Amino acid sequence: MSELTFEQAERELGEIVERLERGDVPLDEAIALWERGEALYRFCRERLDTAHGRIEELTRQSQS
Amino acid sequence: MKVEALEYGDKRVYTVASFNKGVGAWLSRLPTVWVEGEVTELRRQAAWQSVFLTLKDPDGGASVGVTMPRSKFDALRLELKDGERVHVFGRPELFEQRGDFRLRALSIERFGIGEHLAALERLKQKLAAEGIFAAERKRPLPRLPRRIGLVTGNDAAAKRDVVTSVTARFPAAQVLVAEVYVQGPRAPAAIIDALRRLCQQPELDVIVLARGGGSFEDLLPFSDERLVRAVATCPVPVVSAVGHEQDTPLCDLAADARASTPTAAAKLVVPDLRDLVERLDRQRAALARGARRGLERHSQRVIVLVERLRRAPALAVERKAARLERQAGRLRALSPRATLDRGYAIVRKREAIVRAAREVEPGDRVEVEVAEGAFGARVE
Repeated sequence: MSELTFEQAERELGEIVERLERGDVPLDEAIALWERGEALYRFCRERLDTAHGRIEELTRQSQS
Repeated sequence: MKVEALEYGDKRVYTVASFNKGVGAWLSRLPTVWVEGEVTELRRQAAWQSVFLTLKDPDGGASVGVTMPRSKFDALRLELKDGERVHVFGRPELFEQRGDFRLRALSIERFGIGEHLAALERLKQKLAAEGIFAAERKRPLPRLPRRIGLVTGNDAAAKRDVVTSVTARFPAAQVLVAEVYVQGPRAPAAIIDALRRLCQQPELDVIVLARGGGSFEDLLPFSDERLVRAVATCPVPVVSAVGHEQDTPLCDLAADARASTPTAAAKLVVPDLRDLVERLDRQRAALARGARRGLERHSQRVIVLVERLRRAPALAVERKAARLERQAGRLRALSPRATLDRGYAIVRKREAIVRAAREVEPGDRVEVEVAEGAFGARVE
């Protein structure tokens, strides 16, 4: 999951919600989807809650 | 041209006149060029053969003396005044008497705001024809960039405005600032270099190009053809926040999005944290609701199946009983009793049913069965 961007995670969460709401998903898959959805939610919240702002200067040295 | 030298043993020495003459000869071989600058110290007198002026870079840098034959100058009818921007066509020349180097003008063109605007308009048409400003080229901005590049001048205001607006909306923003010259002839190359270096940084998802308001000329670097092309081809989406609402430098048109204020730029590059958290929580509630609804539907289906399963044995017995009843009915319908009821009789001789007259002879004893009961009889 860590290789996901926030947008990808958020979009996937939305898709899972839509599928579950349609209600035509086999049970095993529905449970798996729900678990995935919760994990995506936690991932997104974590990205928002734990990130700290940082202002850096691009220095001449960072030129490779 | 031959320059005479004085010989003192092994030392060759020139007079000032021959030195100037030699340098002058070299200078005169240089090609004619156009030079842009501001007119200062314009000196023209009817008694003089030539007109003199000093051409200066507007940001207070270099200057060069310019001369032009008075008749030529007058024929141009430029009515030039100090401070005006001109393009001078000419070649370098040495005034040998004094060793003064200067630009000998063959022609002078005024290059004011009007000419500037016209040149910009031509550039704009050309770039538009190439599709540099086309809407299809615009890329969507990331909703939550991992890192934001900010190209800004070393005047603190533009940088501070963008950084404050960004962190107010999204405190966790990662901003990488590249301070560059945003004014003067060095600005375009410096900005292009900053864009390129920012794009080399990992996780950089969007770049804001910011500059506060300024005069028409202050903003000119942002219409520089090389810079406009660099913005259009930048590997990372670019938000242009240059000048004020009414200014439209060409880089605004080439950028993926345009913001008229630092606050507007912040709105484009980062989401509002509170909105984001709220929406995420709504999604989660919907997720739980959706999962619950799915489970309910599945367990409902299980209940229905169990009920059917439990009813199955009783149902099977019932079905068999019903079939038995149907068979019995059909059996009854085939029984001969119904025929006897209509007045027929069954005749048996020694338990065998008599079906033909020749099976009996006079004197035989037979049993006759009718609808109600039976009796014996003898054949005559």
